[in-house]
Formats: sequence, structure tokens, C-alpha cells
Amino acid sequence: MSKDKLFGLVDLDWRFELTKFKLIRALFKSRWFPLLAIIFNLFIFVIILIAGLIGGFSAGNYNFGIMIVWILWWVMLMFVLVPIFSRAWCLMCPFPVFGDWMQRGALFNVNPGKLKGLNLKWPKALKNMWVMNILFLVTTFFSGFFTVRPLATFILLGGIILLAFIIGLIFEKRTFCLYVCPVSGFQGLYSQFAMAEVRRKDPEICKNHNVKTCFMGNECGYGCPWMLAPFHFTKNTYCGMCLECFKSCPHDNMGFNLRPPGVDLLVDEKRGLDEAWKAFIMLGIAMVFFLTMQGPWGVLKDMVRGTSLKGYLTFISLHSAFSLLIVPAIFFFFSWLSKLFSGAKEVSLRKIFTNFSYTLVPLGLGVWIAFSIGIILPNGSYILHIISDPFSWGWNLFGTKSFPWTPVFTGILGYLQGLVLVIFYLFSLAYGSRLARQTYPDEAQAKRGWIPMLVFLTLAALAFLWLYIG
Amino acid sequence: MNKNKERIAVTLMLLATVVTIVGVFGIESFRRKQFYTVELIARSPLNGNWTSRGKDGIWHPRKIYAPYGKEVKLYIRNIETVSHGFALPDFNRTDLCDIAKQVVEEKKHSVYSRNRFFYRHHSCFLGCI
Repeated sequence: MSKDKLFGLVDLDWRFELTKFKLIRALFKSRWFPLLAIIFNLFIFVIILIAGLIGGFSAGNYNFGIMIVWILWWVMLMFVLVPIFSRAWCLMCPFPVFGDWMQRGALFNVNPGKLKGLNLKWPKALKNMWVMNILFLVTTFFSGFFTVRPLATFILLGGIILLAFIIGLIFEKRTFCLYVCPVSGFQGLYSQFAMAEVRRKDPEICKNHNVKTCFMGNECGYGCPWMLAPFHFTKNTYCGMCLECFKSCPHDNMGFNLRPPGVDLLVDEKRGLDEAWKAFIMLGIAMVFFLTMQGPWGVLKDMVRGTSLKGYLTFISLHSAFSLLIVPAIFFFFSWLSKLFSGAKEVSLRKIFTNFSYTLVPLGLGVWIAFSIGIILPNGSYILHIISDPFSWGWNLFGTKSFPWTPVFTGILGYLQGLVLVIFYLFSLAYGSRLARQTYPDEAQAKRGWIPMLVFLTLAALAFLWLYIG
Repeated sequence: MNKNKERIAVTLMLLATVVTIVGVFGIESFRRKQFYTVELIARSPLNGNWTSRGKDGIWHPRKIYAPYGKEVKLYIRNIETVSHGFALPDFNRTDLCDIAKQVVEEKKHSVYSRNRFFYRHHSCFLGCI
């Protein structure tokens, strides 16, 4: 066990393997899991798509599609799935199921041999997060429509499902999930903070197992659909938790562990500008979303809703510039200050910039959780209505059709958001100081180089705090 | 290869997709057959209600016709955004509803002869929830 303890409390090397329980291991090894969860979610998404299509241009607050996707799903993603269970949504996501079915020629069984479809390789230049970064940013251009117009949500989700299938026809395995899906990118980034992980148990067993069935596949499971090497997982970012490696490992050497939050942030592997920009984009979007959706500025809301073309184009331009240029530029300035303060001339500015960008992961996740609190508390009660009347046709499936709009704890909403922000800010500081020690060769340089980044994180946290309770 | 389990998986997929779609529309079709239904389009007061018909056109359609003595189901579809109410002046309810609702469903009896009634003379209450 290491002596490095998070907040002086939890050993960063602490792990608790959940799959040591026979029931959980049996579940993970069963081919019905996660297939049944995927099929159930497909059923829910079919209802969402029908509601979106029927709802058309109607108001969104009583629309099943909008409420389930943008209130329940989004909040579950940010509250529970990503921060606790890593990419658990990818595990049960129904979007790629048609592509998988077509490639494998089976839903349940493992078909040996080459997968169907063209099976082309994704271009090497695009094997990073840039496509996902841009797609997610572009998706947010239409946030003023997705959240109020059911048809817009229908088009978005229908488009994603169709795109996943088409890419499945052309490219190998889960190329769509790994390099294209707009939801996948931020889950990958923030899953580094997650309190759970899929990892090999004993490295010696993997070392002596020459066949590497987790990568190649066998009669029990497919080779990693995410084209990774499960025998060498070091961070959560690109593991979609499909659990095929649990099924294909003949030695039961894969484990699902609980762990302290954020330990992946210290793994110095595959760090790059694409992930750094993901962190900037997510932080920038979080601020823009708060200003436009939860702030009191009607003029901004009108711009996002496209009440005038000029206003809408202004929103797109400012939003893009803020997330893609302004936030990174400010961060770059503080990185330069960090290098200056540290006096470490041998450490490249790029390394400082990239390494410290991971301090934005806890802060960004906290900001998104805070934003999600601002969604669920005022609007959560609509969910009780729409589950009874999913198509606004007057159904009353569970007797809650007439449940009135009931905002909850909105009087203390800002303080709750502030509290969440402060907690995650502390995580950013905890990992930031460690990243400083990773970045700079000696302790004194690390301490000096950490100061500007500490100031940046504090200013960013104060800016959000002002928005919440100022 | 377990053919039975594969068949079950495919069946579940069909249940989740095709059967769900057919089931949803089938149930609603059956349900609507039991009532005489009319859909009205509503807009927010800010933008004015639908003005395609009538002198001061408020709702679309302007008139609805219903069989005498039969239960009538009105679907009011709000085509505006989330954060507004809408006025129902022709139902003698001129105040604004607190919250917009995509569909307000009410069962009413058409009480006028000649199998028709007009909003303007319709005195019963139509509430927003």
C-alpha cells in the first residue's frame, strides 16, 4: 500500500473488488448481461423517440422524451453513473446495438471468425477525442431546441442511432463509441474521476497467458470491442465496460473494483491536447449553459432559442470562442506563469499545459453536477407526470398523471450548487498538487509551479460560486 | 451456439422495438375510438393564439362539432415553449394558467342541440393543470 493518502484519509492504492462476490462475477460473466440492460434501455429509447416524434413542436415540459433524456438521464449520468460507476452508461447504451448485431450476426451468441461489415480502420489522425469534442460542442449549439422541442430531441437521438449503425457498417467494432459518439467523450474524461474501475487482477497471470483472449476473443466472449488491451488497463478513459473481457478470460483475472475517486488523473499515459481541450470545452459549456438556462438573463435565453438569426449566430460564435479559445488561452497564460514561477526551464510548456489540464476534471465534474442539481430540483416532478402519460395523450399508467409541478428545495438551490462546487474544487486542489510533483522534477519547483494553477482553479471556482449564490 | 437463447434475445429485441411501436399506436387508436375527440392548438398569450380562422380567431380550429349528448374529449396541444401559461378566454376563463401543459384533456358533454357547440357560448370550465 502506498503512503499517499487522499486528504490524508484514503490510501490512493486502496481497492475493493466487487467481483469477488460470486453473484456479481456470475452476472458479469453471463452473456445476458449487459444485453438485457441494453434491450430495456432500447425499449425506453423507442418510447422516447415516439414521444419526440409525436410531440413535434409542442412544449417540452410534458414530453417523455425531453424529460427522460434531459432531466432524468442527464442527471443520472452526472450524479451517479459517471462519478461512481465510470462509463456504466456505455455498458447499457442501446445506440450501438444494431451495429453490434449486424457485425456479429448474433445478439446473444459469440460468432467466431471475422466480423461482418467492411471492418475498415478508423483514420489514424482521428484516433483521439477531437471528433467527439467538436461534435459535442456542435450539439450544444442546439441546446435551446433540444430541451424544449420534442422533435429536436427526436432528430438528435435518431441521428445518433443511425450514425452509430452506419459507422458500424463501415468501420471495425465500436469505432463509433470510441471516436465519434458525443456522449462518450465527456464520459471518458470524467470517468477518470470515477470510484470504480475494470482492471486485471494479477499481472503475472496475464503475462503468462499468451493467447490474450480478452483482446482476441474466444468462444465465450468477443475480443475487446473497444479495441483496447484489457490485460493492460491503466485508466478508465476508453474502457466502455462492455464486460466482454470478463467473459473471455479463462482465468477469471478481470476485476471490477471500487477505489478512491480520481486516481486515474495521476496516470501519466495517453495524456494529450485532445483530452485537455475536452476539459476546457466541458468547463466552457457548463458556464454557458448555466448563464443561458439557469441564469436570469432573458436576452441570453432568446439568443440560444434562436428568436433572431443575428442573436443565434452571436450565441454560436461567442459560445465556440469561449470554449475553444478563451478558456484554453487563459489556462495557457497560467501554465506559462507556472513555468515562470517554477524556474524549470527543462520542462516544456506543453507538458505543463497538458498535465495541469487534468486538474479541471474534478472541478468540471463538480460544475456539471451543480448544473444538474439546478435541473432536477425545479423540474424533477414533471417526471412523475410523464411516466404516467408518456405521449401526452391523457394516459394515466401509474396514477400520477395529475401530479402537479412541484419544485423542490429551490430556495437553497444556489447553496447546494455551491457546496458541490467547493467539494469538487478541493479534489482539484488535491490532485493538482500531485500533478505539480509529476510535472516538475523537484519538490521546490513543483511548489512554485503549482501556485499559478492554484490561483486559476480558485478564480474559476469563485466565478461559478458567484453565479450560483452571488 | 445456443440457438434457443439467441431466439429469446431476438424476440426481446422485437418486443422492445417493433411491438412497442405497434402497441403504443394500437392502444391509443383503440382508446380514441371510445370518445369523440378534437384537437385544439394553443399558443402563448405573448404570441397570441392561433388566428387562422374567425374574426378574432383564438383557437384552431375555430369551431368544433360534436355528436349531441356524447362525451367529447378535447386535446389542447400547446405548441409553445415550457415557461409560459396560455389564456382560455373563450371558455370564460380569462386568467392565465400557471403552467403550460402540452395537452389538457377534459371530458365534456356537448349540451347544445344540432350536434355542435361553440367555444364562445360554452360555459363549462376547462382547467389547466
